[in-house]
Amino acid sequence: MTDSLSSLGLLVPGFDEAVRDAQATFRVMLDALARPGTVGTVDVALDDEALARWPASAFAALLALADFSTPVWLQQRDDALAEAIRFHTGAPLTDAPATAAFAYVADAGSLPAPDAFALGTPEEPQGSATLIIRVESFAGGRPLTLTGPGIQSSHTVAPVGIADSFWQARAALAPIAPCGIDCYLVCGRSIMGIARTTRVELN
Amino acid sequence: MKESSSETTQARQRWLGQLARAPRELLETSLAEVCQGAPLPAYTWLRAPQTGLAMVRGRIGGTGDAFNMGEATLTRAVLRLKDADGAGPVGVAWQLGRDKRRAELAALADAMLQSPRWGDAVRARLLAPLGATLDAARRARAQDTATSRVDFYTMVRGES
Repeated sequence: MTDSLSSLGLLVPGFDEAVRDAQATFRVMLDALARPGTVGTVDVALDDEALARWPASAFAALLALADFSTPVWLQQRDDALAEAIRFHTGAPLTDAPATAAFAYVADAGSLPAPDAFALGTPEEPQGSATLIIRVESFAGGRPLTLTGPGIQSSHTVAPVGIADSFWQARAALAPIAPCGIDCYLVCGRSIMGIARTTRVELN
Repeated sequence: MKESSSETTQARQRWLGQLARAPRELLETSLAEVCQGAPLPAYTWLRAPQTGLAMVRGRIGGTGDAFNMGEATLTRAVLRLKDADGAGPVGVAWQLGRDKRRAELAALADAMLQSPRWGDAVRARLLAPLGATLDAARRARAQDTATSRVDFYTMVRGES
């Protein structure tokens, strides 16, 4: 306790109004995952320093979802984010992606393979990991065609920076449904959900 | 905090314990005295005061298995002093009860105690009278309970 108290130097404030802002963020994330490929906007007030360091939607998502029972894995060492997560949510941080419930991937280019994360079990598919992946933009990258539940016919998105090999490895996980991983792509205040049921084809 | 030697940690633990028991009036008046009429130092909330429950656990005689005694209402607050040079010290407060203003003042006092600008003044005007108040309260309580104290003796039997 003393150690974490004495190192609060990097700590940034969380939500202004914890309940309201967490619910607003949760609603946006719920809608984003229910309609894969559509872009939602997380419109909650956050501290300027937090906005300068991380995409607002990623920080808000971690504040809204993480708690003491959901280990968080950070792809890159980030003391300020680690401190904010520990302080505001009480979530433990883990070094092993396989044990994480949430993973924040700051560099989409060096994203680990999807099966490095927890995929859930047939009895408990909810035990899988949710990835929050920072991308530079939702347009201008490799075009992807999304089909599946929540998408009327098909949807084309072109997020920048995620390697083809990630989508291929993710597609290989389709047979183990209902297990799999859910992804959120974040960029500034925008967030896009790609559920485990969504089929992603590389164009 | 730049230095985290065990001495400063112990000092802070001591004053955090005192601030947790500090009455609100004393915090108000002492901090106002420290500022000498000027408004209290500016700060930003890291965690605005919030009230919740904490499970109080106990051990009979301090040795048995821990058991849940009951829940207590707690108010906690964390703030950071606004210093001219950017990030100031962080003050924390955890207190029994629902008094948010009291938690705010205690957190502010903790932050000011860590700041070279305010530290000595707060030590003199808040911690000194606070220590005296808490000691007096503890003595009064000990005297009250001492009148009803019963000592049990066990007679030792001859054959044992």
